Amino acid sequence: MNLHLPQWLPQSNTVNLLAGLFLLSALYAAGQRRVVACIAGYRWNSIALGLIALTVALVTGTRHIAFAALLVMGVKAIVIPGLLAKHASRMKGRDVEPLIGIPAGMLICGALVVVAFSQTRALFGSGQNILGSCLPISVATTLVGLFLMVSRRQALLQVVGLVLVENAIFLAAVSLTYGMPLVVEMGVLLDLLVGVALLGLFVGRIEELQGDSDTTRLSSLKG
Amino acid sequence: MLLLLSLVLLPLLAAGICLALGGRAGTTRVTLISLAAMLTLALVLAARVLAGGDLQAAGGWLHADGLSVLVACIITGVALPCAAYGADYMRHVQQQDHADARWAPGRYEALTLALIACMMLSALADNLGLLWIAIEGSTLTSALLVGYYRRPGSVEAGWKYLILCSVGISLALFATVLLFYSGAAVFGEQGSTLRWTTLREVAAQLDPRFVKLAFLFALVGYGTKAGLAPMHSWLPDAYSQAPTPAAALMSTALLATSLAALLRFHAIAVAGVGPDWSGALLTGFGVLSIVVAVPFMLVQGEYKRLLAYSSLEHTGLVALAVGLGTPLALFAGLLHLLVQSLVKTLAFLVGGSLLRASGSRRMDHYAGLIDADPRLGTLVVVAGLGLAGLPPLGTFVSEWMTLAGGFASRHAGAAIVALIALALVFIALAYHFSHIVLGRAREGFVDALPGRTRVPMAMLAVGAILLGVWLPTPVRDLIEHAMRSIRP
Repeated sequence: MNLHLPQWLPQSNTVNLLAGLFLLSALYAAGQRRVVACIAGYRWNSIALGLIALTVALVTGTRHIAFAALLVMGVKAIVIPGLLAKHASRMKGRDVEPLIGIPAGMLICGALVVVAFSQTRALFGSGQNILGSCLPISVATTLVGLFLMVSRRQALLQVVGLVLVENAIFLAAVSLTYGMPLVVEMGVLLDLLVGVALLGLFVGRIEELQGDSDTTRLSSLKG
Repeated sequence: MLLLLSLVLLPLLAAGICLALGGRAGTTRVTLISLAAMLTLALVLAARVLAGGDLQAAGGWLHADGLSVLVACIITGVALPCAAYGADYMRHVQQQDHADARWAPGRYEALTLALIACMMLSALADNLGLLWIAIEGSTLTSALLVGYYRRPGSVEAGWKYLILCSVGISLALFATVLLFYSGAAVFGEQGSTLRWTTLREVAAQLDPRFVKLAFLFALVGYGTKAGLAPMHSWLPDAYSQAPTPAAALMSTALLATSLAALLRFHAIAVAGVGPDWSGALLTGFGVLSIVVAVPFMLVQGEYKRLLAYSSLEHTGLVALAVGLGTPLALFAGLLHLLVQSLVKTLAFLVGGSLLRASGSRRMDHYAGLIDADPRLGTLVVVAGLGLAGLPPLGTFVSEWMTLAGGFASRHAGAAIVALIALALVFIALAYHFSHIVLGRAREGFVDALPGRTRVPMAMLAVGAILLGVWLPTPVRDLIEHAMRSIRP
């Protein structure tokens, strides 16, 4: 298991392609009006993340990264989207208008991506071959996920934004360090899984109380 | 070391037993016995660390230094009175408003114990990844406590708490990744480590840009969890909606663990790029938290929300003191973390008794308490004096030392702003507490909880007063030990 890595990875086209899929699926999620479509975007995002980790595992030949990659795919591409979709299918209320319209939102997301790329380059330098373009893409996806959280009213969409941010940080961990120690990654995944289940519980209660899951109407506590 | 492991596993075991017992009698006994055992273990741990230096366990995953032990003592020291009071409190809630508390019996105790296990794990973790997992675990368990009652306010508060702290904590995960990455430059690709003791040793060799960036993300991430302004918007809602004993636990023990997590990153930044950079940030956020709390305290109508903003102010004071970084201020900050835990727990618990007796959260429904119930009134007075930082309470000593340390440091301006804000806080607290204690008593005020709930409150009051007039040598040694965890 003792590996000597050549100058990190070569600018692998596979990784770049998958990183592109990662960013595009996040943008797709941010541009959808319907909750189910947003969840599909997240699912593709997770698949891309898992495949990137798997590629890293294949190139470096490390078994624990491959194991972590499969775990990530299982939890993030199957279990969590499944949980979210179950809640989405139970949703009674109609789709609520976003706080910022979709076209304007897409323009903002584009700007966020540009900012992420320029600022990450400025900070980490472009000379480093940190899995090609993964780091700026992870920063861009973090921003897109946060934008999704603040621009939508439905509770479930805010959860999708949150798990997108979480994916982006996983990508950063993979691209910067080839992933954290396995025990830590498993603990983080467990926390994420329980967290999404709890958020789903609260989404259910919000709907039970006010008939839809418009979080802007949650404003009884003030001062 | 079995000692460290048992501190983490004992509450988990007790939580499992409480779940298994369900509605049957005995959950209270299991909770109290396990928490009493934990307090004993924490004190034994303190004695051993003071006598023989840091302890390690579980193959280097757990580590007890001065700061861990201080936090462990705060957690267990607060959890026991909260649980002793909480048993009667929750029974009363269940009898009176069962529509609100539809959870299965035994669930409350199990959740509290699981929260305590997570907090204890975060205090003892020697691995930034494990620390993150434990802090996130404490968010998840405490979110269920915030949303414990099934009424609109609780659901709203629980949702806000969970979503805000989850975003915050994912930024803290990024901070962890950054430090791991910067360690790779020192140890080589496969040898990097998340152990903060090792990272602190090699901090001078880490790339300062990443150390700074990691501290920034940790400040926002764990700062959200600790409730530093401007990331505190979940805090008044969560503290006012959670069941009172759980709110007391959150505003003291959980606050101490989140701050301690942030201080681990601070310690690495101090060792890596010098004390001034991260210290200045902590000072700034600390002063901001104190100042932001003032207007909300002045016009506050609800007792528990008043305490929540007071909590914001006290968090700010600790951050300010640690940020100032002079030995006096650092000592004062850690002492404040300890005494404010006693005072705030007392304040929350008397608030619980007022709430159950009057059925209202609003302070204008409480009046003339010193006539209606002199003993409870006295406890309220002690709590009020403590929150305001007046003698003879321990908070007076720690706040005074913080300000003295501040005036002697390079950030005297911050200390002056804090002093003015503290004076305004005093006015707010004097106004609200004099209305609760003095004036014409409401007719028919009867404490709805049994007399034995006064015992934990009285013990907290005595402890807070004792620390104000006399600082025992072991306590002083413990705090000096904890100072070395931040600045060796």
